Amino acid sequence: MRHMRTTALMLALAGVALLSGCASNGAKNDNNDPYESVNRKMYNFNDVLDKNFFQPVARGYVKVTPDPVRSGVTNFFDNLGYLNVITNDLLQGKMKQTALDSSRFVVNSTVGIGGLFDPATGFGLASHDEDLGQTFGVWGAGEGAYLVLPLLGPNSFRDAPNLASSMLLNPLTWINSVVTIPLGVLNAVNTRANLLEATNIRDQAALDPYTFVREAYRQQREFKIYDGNPPADENDEYNVDAKGDQSVLKIY
Amino acid sequence: MARMLALTLGLLMGLWTASAPAAPTDDAKAVVEKLHDTLLNAMKDAQKLGFKGRYALIEPALRTAFDFETISRIITGPHWKTLNDAQHLKFIDVFTKLSIATYANNFDGFSGEHFETASSEEKRGNMLVKTFLVKSDGKKVDLNYVLQKHGDAWQIVNVVAEGVSDLSLKRADYTAVIGSEGFDSLIAKLNEKIASYESGSK
Repeated sequence: MRHMRTTALMLALAGVALLSGCASNGAKNDNNDPYESVNRKMYNFNDVLDKNFFQPVARGYVKVTPDPVRSGVTNFFDNLGYLNVITNDLLQGKMKQTALDSSRFVVNSTVGIGGLFDPATGFGLASHDEDLGQTFGVWGAGEGAYLVLPLLGPNSFRDAPNLASSMLLNPLTWINSVVTIPLGVLNAVNTRANLLEATNIRDQAALDPYTFVREAYRQQREFKIYDGNPPADENDEYNVDAKGDQSVLKIY
Repeated sequence: MARMLALTLGLLMGLWTASAPAAPTDDAKAVVEKLHDTLLNAMKDAQKLGFKGRYALIEPALRTAFDFETISRIITGPHWKTLNDAQHLKFIDVFTKLSIATYANNFDGFSGEHFETASSEEKRGNMLVKTFLVKSDGKKVDLNYVLQKHGDAWQIVNVVAEGVSDLSLKRADYTAVIGSEGFDSLIAKLNEKIASYESGSK
């Protein structure tokens, strides 16, 4: 009961967030970050915590955990999160994908022993990546202002409601906290470990890591909304001389 | 009649041979594949070559395959026009060296990866070559290249990995630094990166 109420509250908040996000999504040629000064503070806070705590823990975990075990853990949590994927397949009107992903969930939950293994991919049921933010994008919502959330990092007003839907649709939410909490910790550590390669690239390449992460986040979201095929006019950015300064600013 | 036939055949043959030279899509594909070959060689001989050896191997390949001038214009954004010629040359030079050093640093070992070319298509005068880096466990990383034609040759202006455009990332990052700290500070930071690759790598 208490769960239901919390979730309802979160969804309501998310709805407000989405609306205000759309409202503030005016200019397309800026970097979509009206709250940059607050976001930067949050980014720095997260970064200190990450460098001093989460990263060392994740590295330790990678060191002591054999690769097959780590991929089992990743499969397990991916599978638990799959009801959210299926729901968003449906919300985006992808009927065939809804059917395929439902089969994938059933196969991996049973033959794959509770999702620890991923036999479905071998059967031609490839995994898909859908979430509520992508659904809003498909429905035509703008990006919504960029947000850096405590602990969770890059997000946006359009994408944040997915935090509620993915929680609501995750079976772990509905079972006893004695099980949920340790599994949640494992999920967090494993997720951070899977991101080590990406953050290494950031640390290596970025001059201003905040800007780098924001840009990468926004682009990857666009890529996912269009399922890997963003529209062709993205290429306008390459015509440096064609339209003078305007085209130079286009991909911001 | 026979003459007509011969003429028709001749015309057809003519058309056929005229279209025989490689299509632009093939030319663009060849540029990317040649780069991939060099990168694979650097990976396979990584230990033997060391950082300096890999740098020397990769440098000519990168200088031919990439259009560093166009890339430099794009990633400095609106600042390009406010910089003078000497600064333009300086930036292109430092950025080119950084790119080579980054490749030499990153392609530092081989564990059964290979590259696959998926397709090559024209998009608004640019060429988009889609490829995968296939890891030894079969996992594929999307690696798309955007090429532009300069004179006779196609050259790479952007690499898009898993949907993230390198050009766009660098533009956001570099223009932020020029905007807040100035051009000289940007150059100093890029030089620092190069130095850290040189000293930190095997």
